[in-house]
Amino acid sequence: MDKLLRDKKAITVFLMPALLLFVVVLFVPICQSVYYSFCEYKGLTAPEFIGLKNYKDLLKDKSMMFALKNSLFFLIFSCVTQLVMGLFLAALLTNIKKGRNLFKNIIYLPCVLSSTALGLLWMFIFSPKLGINQALEKFGMEGPLWLMDTSGFIILPMWVIAFVALWQYVGQSMMLYMAQISGISTSLYEASYIDGCNKAKSFIHITLPLIKPMVATAMSLNAIGSLKFFDLIFNMTEGGPNHRTEVLATHLYTQGFKYNKYGYASAIGVVLIVMCLIVTGLINKFVKTENYEM
Amino acid sequence: MSDKMKSTTVKTIIYIFLVLVAVIYIAPLLWVFMVSFKTNAEIFSSPFSLPESFYIDNYTFSWTAGKLGIATLNSFIVCGITLILSMLIGSMAAFAIGRLRFKLAKPCMTFFLLGMMIPVHCVMIPLFTRFAKIGLSNSLIGLIIPYLTFSLPTTIFIMTGFFQSMPNELIESACIDGSSIYGIFFKIALPLSKTGLFVTGLMTFVANWNELLLAMVFISDDAKKTLPVSLSKFVGPYNTNYSQMFAAIIIAIIPTVIVYCIFSNQIVDGLTAGAVKG
Repeated sequence: MDKLLRDKKAITVFLMPALLLFVVVLFVPICQSVYYSFCEYKGLTAPEFIGLKNYKDLLKDKSMMFALKNSLFFLIFSCVTQLVMGLFLAALLTNIKKGRNLFKNIIYLPCVLSSTALGLLWMFIFSPKLGINQALEKFGMEGPLWLMDTSGFIILPMWVIAFVALWQYVGQSMMLYMAQISGISTSLYEASYIDGCNKAKSFIHITLPLIKPMVATAMSLNAIGSLKFFDLIFNMTEGGPNHRTEVLATHLYTQGFKYNKYGYASAIGVVLIVMCLIVTGLINKFVKTENYEM
Repeated sequence: MSDKMKSTTVKTIIYIFLVLVAVIYIAPLLWVFMVSFKTNAEIFSSPFSLPESFYIDNYTFSWTAGKLGIATLNSFIVCGITLILSMLIGSMAAFAIGRLRFKLAKPCMTFFLLGMMIPVHCVMIPLFTRFAKIGLSNSLIGLIIPYLTFSLPTTIFIMTGFFQSMPNELIESACIDGSSIYGIFFKIALPLSKTGLFVTGLMTFVANWNELLLAMVFISDDAKKTLPVSLSKFVGPYNTNYSQMFAAIIIAIIPTVIVYCIFSNQIVDGLTAGAVKG
């Protein structure tokens, strides 16, 4: 049997297709992408090495600064709100019996729907003359231009999109926390009630410490997801008005595939990937702790 | 107030809050569904009432003008092929890592897991230029290849777990019966990890069905666009016939909603199981 499991030929056959795809579609393109980011490359002529010029241009590019600011805003907003709301909903749902599945399934629904369709849907709901503003008009109020207002440090459209993103994806965090909470043995809670804890206390002293590993998982998922964020922005504002709602992914798309500045767009891609690696590293360092026996 | 009464009040508050949340989730979808049956003028005159007559023309128009039929078909082809290939290739690699004995198993796994952290945006430009050179741009195959690659990390990760937890005796007895390693994989390992295959398949399908960016970049031919791309192109802020666009949005999400309503528990649990392990 050992001989069978050490069969070199079989190992190669099993691993080859996946490895080949990974090297050709992931590993080589990443290296190329890094190389392009040091090049002037517009698609028609071969890439020409220009050193750090693309990165220097990035620092001067106003839309890039908007994109960077907005991406960081998304990152922080989604990590915090998803944690708070996800945990809150999970705590509520684990405390009720009747209708738990129903509420859970309703909140999870947008996670499986296409964010293109949902983005377009919300774009209409927040458009100047439809949806919310029509409802406000009924009460004699005039609604703001939800997706076009440009005042403030974090402009109104960014808040709107951030809340839509929270609406769409909070189900995911909620489910992750629920899965972890339902894995905690009830004897721990019973012991705490005997010791005189009430529900709130046992939540703080038992539930919270025990779901810490899951916080790390859910947070890294959120963080990478919010850095990759593209569909909702593209369909709700297309980065407008005047590039104020641009994030890294939409900026990369516009520069690369609208203006064909492949070299410049690759530099944005490199910034994106570095941010992804840093953020996952940080989260795993600070949030992940030892796993407790449950 | 007695303890029992207190707990009933708390329960009531929880239920009221949850109902409010549910309304926030369902109301937008329901409103768009309702106005998609109205005429454009009706949307502005009476936006929140039930439609006077069900104006089906919106649907027939956006189905044909938005080319949503062919787009749905393309999405099915791309997602279906990716699903099958990723399950096969992914579980083959997972079987090698989880069950076969060789020194490089750990480094291989790390290499595959790195793929989870890499956003697809970063490899898009090199892939696009290369595919253009070898004639894969503007073809469904050119879309299937990156989709497949990006769904492999989670598939491999989850399936490795399944294969490792499989009892040793099963494989031993198959060995004694004289079956080959390929026989063990296809006749024992795969059929026994149906749950894992379901979870990974579901994750792959949902992710690719909704993917917009790659599909938009790689495909420019109308007849080859996938559903999110066609929808995004047809529905835009500059088109002013709102009811038709609402109809298009409903067409795009209604199949998913129906499937979700029927299998919601399996889908939610499956996707969560995948995410917990991933």
